[in-house]
Amino acid sequence: MGGYGDVQMIDDKGLRMDGRGPGDLREITIETGVVPVADGSCRMTWGTNEAIVAVYGPMEAHPRKIQRQDRAVLDVHYNMAPFSTTDRMRPGFNRRSREISKVTKDALESVVLLELYPRSKIRISIEIISAEAGTRCVGLTAASVALADAGIPMTDMVVSVASGKINDVVVCDLNKEEDNYGEADLPMGILPNSGDLVFLQMDGDLSQEEFKQAWNYNMEASNAVHKQMIEALKGDANQ
Amino acid sequence: MTIPLVPNLLRAHLAELADNDSRIDGRDRWQGRETQVEVGVLPRAEGSARVQMGDTIVFAGVKFQVMQPYPDRPNEGGLMCSAEVRPIAGRNWETGPPSPESIELGRVVDRGIRESGCIDVKSLCIIPGEKAWQVILDLFAISDDGNLFDAFALAGIAALRSAVVPAERFEVGDDAPLGVSKTPIMCSYHKVGGRFVYDACHREELGGDERIHITLGDNGNVHSLQKGLKGIFSTEEFDEIMGHALSRTSELRDLIN
Amino acid sequence: MREKNEAGEPRDNGRDQLLVIPGEDLGDSQGLEPGHGVMEVNGRIKALKQGMMRKNGSYISVEPIHTRYFPRPSDLVIGYIEGCTNNIWFVDIGAPFNAILPMSLGPGKAEFGGTRSIMDVGDAILCRVQEVEETHSSVVTMKGMGLRKIRSGTIEELDPHLLGRLIGKGGDSLRRLKEATQCRIVVADNGRMWVDGDLSGILKVRDKVQSLSNNPAVQKGGRN
Repeated sequence: MGGYGDVQMIDDKGLRMDGRGPGDLREITIETGVVPVADGSCRMTWGTNEAIVAVYGPMEAHPRKIQRQDRAVLDVHYNMAPFSTTDRMRPGFNRRSREISKVTKDALESVVLLELYPRSKIRISIEIISAEAGTRCVGLTAASVALADAGIPMTDMVVSVASGKINDVVVCDLNKEEDNYGEADLPMGILPNSGDLVFLQMDGDLSQEEFKQAWNYNMEASNAVHKQMIEALKGDANQ
Repeated sequence: MTIPLVPNLLRAHLAELADNDSRIDGRDRWQGRETQVEVGVLPRAEGSARVQMGDTIVFAGVKFQVMQPYPDRPNEGGLMCSAEVRPIAGRNWETGPPSPESIELGRVVDRGIRESGCIDVKSLCIIPGEKAWQVILDLFAISDDGNLFDAFALAGIAALRSAVVPAERFEVGDDAPLGVSKTPIMCSYHKVGGRFVYDACHREELGGDERIHITLGDNGNVHSLQKGLKGIFSTEEFDEIMGHALSRTSELRDLIN
Repeated sequence: MREKNEAGEPRDNGRDQLLVIPGEDLGDSQGLEPGHGVMEVNGRIKALKQGMMRKNGSYISVEPIHTRYFPRPSDLVIGYIEGCTNNIWFVDIGAPFNAILPMSLGPGKAEFGGTRSIMDVGDAILCRVQEVEETHSSVVTMKGMGLRKIRSGTIEELDPHLLGRLIGKGGDSLRRLKEATQCRIVVADNGRMWVDGDLSGILKVRDKVQSLSNNPAVQKGGRN
């Protein structure tokens, strides 16, 4: 996080550089069935972020050592494609991607009914095709849609949104400049039907009040995103 | 990648289909799958394309970097091709260091484009001896239902032809389209059930034998060839597929331009 | 015309067909028996999978759009040999984990270490599920009527939940298909079927299977 308040990102009318108000989300689209050879898949655009997620399984867990006798394991890979960022990302081992893969796995393992598929694994590939701040949130949200598309049982969907602070104002859903020059970032993974959490990270500087504000922004935003997920998964089946 | 299980019945079935001039998905011997090409699909790349052939889907992205020219070639920039087939694309693709399969994919596509001379590396020079453009073409598979070679090659050349040199961002001048003087096109043939077919789908690759990749330029000039996997083929067989390649590369070239 | 409120919660208007998604509330659980794809939480029924909600009397379930096969004892299955040790074959039966076929349950007699000479990697076999252990690994057997290594024809795949439509009432549709194509067709319980006969007959069966797969009852997914 940079941000010493000298880059003006929100005016006194509360309008951000891209025209959004403090509580507004970027535009989101959700599509399923976009990787024909996979068991389930989802393509999500969020601002100029684009993530494609494919789910394979449940299938035999190879190598043997990752197999668990009592439940399935999730094999989650979050990766940024070389052309996803303004400066090319070199393919290969990346610590940040490894960390995000792990926390995404931890989040999804909290909702997938793993005990139904002992000794097997479910592979979840999250590929970021275009990045613009909040890629871990797009990845986690799209992964939950892809899992539903694959018919994997879950106790709820996962909606992940991040809020933060720019020029001392708490705002929802940071874009790239806001993430770079802002003062805080709070991504959360929320279960929309209960309001419970499976994913939580934070970095920056927020007062207790600001923290509560950011928290609430995420909660509200998750409801809006959930509605879109429902539309995407149901199509026009119920009309 | 893990070597996928080849059901033994599949090979016998493919042979029977070949004897009856049929293919497992009902296509003609020389018929390609439905092909779509879209350019300008990746907002962060300076050139990009998405190609779909049947259920095979790939992206190609062009990124520019500024490099220092090699001492023995002070007036030249560079072109680098990299191919990645990650687990997203299919059950049998694994994480880890690039597999021999994906390395071969990248290098074969690279040669097809590079050897055609469609990009003049001298035109990439910015300041002789000091700065030059490095053009990096990244090929990325999303869904593998066979014939990643042709999908990558098509996406690669489409992306290059739509690329814009980001001189303004690097403060070395004005943005301008990347100069690409030709359109090399690759056609791949797989021996399935004893005969070569064009644009093999995944099951044909699984139960098939050797493959041959032919890259032709604008006048039918031969720019690169590769034979992969185990198998023996005759001159007559090769002449037959070269004949098809001449007409098909022309069709695909029109699709791009 | 089915109505749904803004949040997409299903309204119970007496019909029993509705597409639901994981986490969705399906109403009060009183008097209802939770079946496949749902669970009871705090007096409410909750959907766990994306699929069609079905109410059959007091039994409520969600039938997913894509089903996966789960082995049960005495199921007839078609498997592919994926590997072997000296006295066991590992069989892919299209379930989340492989089954094992011990040599003692294999076809005919064999010496220790001779597994490959009888059946090798890539071979297809018709076998039966003998047992499914506590940890859900399953054992298959080839000792039984009609169980064998498949030496000719092809194996077609179909989502397990569409098998009913393929077979038809009292086996009617399947009988007609066999007559029309002059093919021998053995439909296993794991979404695979063995088709043997003339190439033209095999292709007709394949077309029929394709048309069943491409014509799902539900138009799911879509752009948003």
